[in-house]
Parts: sequence; C-alpha cells; structure tokens
Amino acid sequence: MAFLAGSLALCAQGPVPRPAPELKIVEASGKTAMLSSFHGRVVLLAFISTQCPHCQRVSAVFEQFSKEFSARLQVAEVAFDEGADSAAFVKRFGLSFPVGNSSSDVAHDFLGIGRGMRLGTPQVVVIDRSGMIRAQSQRLGSPILQTYDCLRDLLKAIFKLEAPR
Amino acid sequence: MIDHSLAVSPLGAILFHLKQGFWLYAWPMIIGFLTILGYQVLGRVGMMGAVKWPVVFGLGTVVSMVSLAGWVMMARGMHMIPFYGCGVGLASAMMSRIYAVTMPIHPRLKVRLVRVIWRGDSEGIEKLQKALRSKV
Repeated sequence: MAFLAGSLALCAQGPVPRPAPELKIVEASGKTAMLSSFHGRVVLLAFISTQCPHCQRVSAVFEQFSKEFSARLQVAEVAFDEGADSAAFVKRFGLSFPVGNSSSDVAHDFLGIGRGMRLGTPQVVVIDRSGMIRAQSQRLGSPILQTYDCLRDLLKAIFKLEAPR
Repeated sequence: MIDHSLAVSPLGAILFHLKQGFWLYAWPMIIGFLTILGYQVLGRVGMMGAVKWPVVFGLGTVVSMVSLAGWVMMARGMHMIPFYGCGVGLASAMMSRIYAVTMPIHPRLKVRLVRVIWRGDSEGIEKLQKALRSKV
C-alpha cells in the first residue's frame, strides 16, 4: 500500500492553478533574469530540449506571441537537455526573447514532477500577472498547448480575466 | 492542464481536435485506400499489354511516390494500424466488386471517359460481352 502511494506521488504533477515557484533564467551570454521580475505581466514559459522538433516549432509560435502581445506578455524558454547550446538555438531560430539553460532537476521541481520522471517536451507553462500558474502541459506533453490558435485563446482569456477594473 | 475557471474560447481547441482527428484517424485510412487502389490499377494496366511501357513506368512511379509520401506524412504509431487496415480493406473490397473499366467515347463531348462496370451490373456486363464478341 505504501509502495502504491509512493508510486502515485512520484507520478503526480503540480496542480493548476498554483503559485509559480521562483526560477532563475540564465542565458548563454551570462545575463540572468528571475521569474519574479516578470511579475505584473503574463508569462509564457516553456521547458525545452534544443534538439526536439516540437520545441523548435513551439519556439516559432512563442516568437510570434512575443511580437503580437509585446506590451502584455513576457515569453521565456529554458533548455534543460544535456549540452544544450541555447545561444546557437536563439541564433538559428531568430528568437528575441530570453532562452536560458537549467538542469533537468530544476525543470522537474518547477513543474512539480518527481525528479527522474520522463518528461515530454516542450513543457509549456502559462503564468498570470499575479504569478499563478494557469495552464501547464501534461507530464508527457500536451500538443494542444503547442498550437498558435489554442495558446492565443488561452492568453486572451487570461488577459480578459485580469483586465484592470 | 488548464485552469477550469478560465473562460477560454473553445474554437481553437475544436480546430485542434478536428485537425488531430484527421491526421491520426482519417489520413492512415486514406493512404491505405489510395495505396491499394493505385497498385491494383497499376497491376491491371500493366497486365493489359496494350499500354505502352513508358505509361506503365510513369504510373508505377507516381503510385509508389504517392504511397510513400503518404507514409512519411503519417503520424506513425500503433493506434494507426487499424485505420490503415480499414483503408486497405475498403479499397480491396471495392476493387473486388469491379468487373471491368472501360473508356467509351462520350457521344456529345467526343472525349474518352472512364466507366466502371460493377459486378452487380448485369446489363452493363452483357453489353460489354456483346461488344467484345462483335470485335472477335
């Protein structure tokens, strides 16, 4: 019984909504940004693997959003694959938003998933202006959170929710 | 996982599921169907003996390219096996019901049009047999 409970706890994933934990985004250039510094803006964040074609595609979608909603949205990505060259990734796909590096453990902790569990990439996270995680990919990935149309609808709902009264 | 308290427009999600449904379920069926249809047509044309070899070569090239392109575009996984099988089965069943394919000249348009004679079409079969006998 204890083994079953332990296994279930290991497979579990952080609930939504929940407060976003702190995250340090260290870019290849050495520039550092804290997630909390984006407070007051909606954040579109993805944990990626630089070799994964889905992550490359979602980066193009993110770039589109960073231009479309530049005033209200902060886009960022964190590459957590071993030996990831985020500078080359940014250059190759012409990204204008910060792309940092981190370890797999940092990604697991942020996503509320047990360390060592297999993750499907990209892991997309949408954080509202108050710092609450409003949407997050399933552990093995959520294709619906990788498409332009669905993400746009989601972002619009979050913008509307937080429109100043 | 999306916060259920958010009023997200369902349009994007509906579009996503429609597209996903097409590529995961309909596309394997279409490819299975087209592969069998193409290869059976190729086989029959090749066996006729009356068609020039460059035509058979061209048809073979196109059929194999279409089939392979479909495979490459397919989301390969265990789930698509039954759908691909359904497409193959459907095309095989359809082809088994064809008695002959003729290309009569349209009386008004004066162009050759493809006419399929099905096995159940006894009148069409009789007409074709008469036409063939008169030629002999």
